[in-house]
Amino acid sequence: MYRPYLPALALTLTICLPGFISLSSAEEVLTEQRFRQLHKQLQPADDELWRTIPWRTSLLDAQRRAITEKKPIFIWAMDGHPLGCT
Amino acid sequence: MLRTQFIAVAIDQAYQRRQQDAEGEFYRKIAGQGPRSNFQSTTQGFYIASADGTLLLYNNNRDPEKLNRLMQQRLQEFKVPSAVTPISPGTLDARYNPSPPKGGCVVRVQARVLGGYLPTTDRWKKIFQSSLSRDNLWISAAEQQALTKGQVTQSLQQRIVRFHLVDNTRGEPPMWKKEEIRQLKITFDGTTLRGTVHLETADGKRGYEAQLLGKIEVRGGKVVLFDMVADGSFWGQGPYSGIAPKGRFPLAVGFRLADGTDAADQIPPQASRGWVQGYIR
Repeated sequence: MYRPYLPALALTLTICLPGFISLSSAEEVLTEQRFRQLHKQLQPADDELWRTIPWRTSLLDAQRRAITEKKPIFIWAMDGHPLGCT
Repeated sequence: MLRTQFIAVAIDQAYQRRQQDAEGEFYRKIAGQGPRSNFQSTTQGFYIASADGTLLLYNNNRDPEKLNRLMQQRLQEFKVPSAVTPISPGTLDARYNPSPPKGGCVVRVQARVLGGYLPTTDRWKKIFQSSLSRDNLWISAAEQQALTKGQVTQSLQQRIVRFHLVDNTRGEPPMWKKEEIRQLKITFDGTTLRGTVHLETADGKRGYEAQLLGKIEVRGGKVVLFDMVADGSFWGQGPYSGIAPKGRFPLAVGFRLADGTDAADQIPPQASRGWVQGYIR
């Protein structure tokens, strides 16, 4: 019967997925290295498609631009701000 | 298409459907022509309107192919309205137009679940499972001044943990009550912030235990760097942030000083919605 060698598996996961292992106990210290790694991981990529759209946050500002540019207004209206929170 | 053929605007309709000013009136004029015309409840969805307020489309379907097809159709039918004048903002409804604190600063806050989800082939679940949330932390002038002196005020500590150490990666999260702060210890030596926090509801169904590490720099009486991370294990979910991983799961929250280059830097914090005094004084 095949029995996985758990310590080896755990080590492999730690090496392969360093950004996806979180602190599991209070004894582990959030190191400077992990801080830098996580902080980078928690920033959005500049080239994400939705970030390339020139979203406005004022409906009246959008109305003025729609007159000037002779375009329709597209409104993304949510519970919680679409550009924040959710 | 959104970049070139529409004027794209993103709003939290919980403000516009309530606010008593020109912006609120214009929104209600548009939304009132659609199926969600009861402004006592949500009117969320996608709208296309002309500058005179004529509704051309309401849709609340997340299927991108369907929405794309509807947008193309409405573009073909669109006629530029004649003799429309820009609407003057007039007097703003202060309750729904909060501004970042004068003399303070804005910090971007982004959270991510780092693991714990069961594998899925569902496209929507995949999106939620990998999502990076976004909110803003507002810091008052007095709190910024305290930081320049190497102090993190109690008000700032409480605001960070109660309103920003939340799992908002799948929807609007419940915030923490004061009494749900079981433990909070923060030290700051003028450049490095370290801390531990334990948040938990009375019934124990939702909680977060994490460590904090931050790098803060001040220059000329202002914060010029505010990089911080909370790293720990979270459990539970809220009514609008369901399908969380079972049991405890790793959640990290990152903080970075906003520089005003992102449209989202102007968005009021989620926890200030409708009652900014409850968020920051």
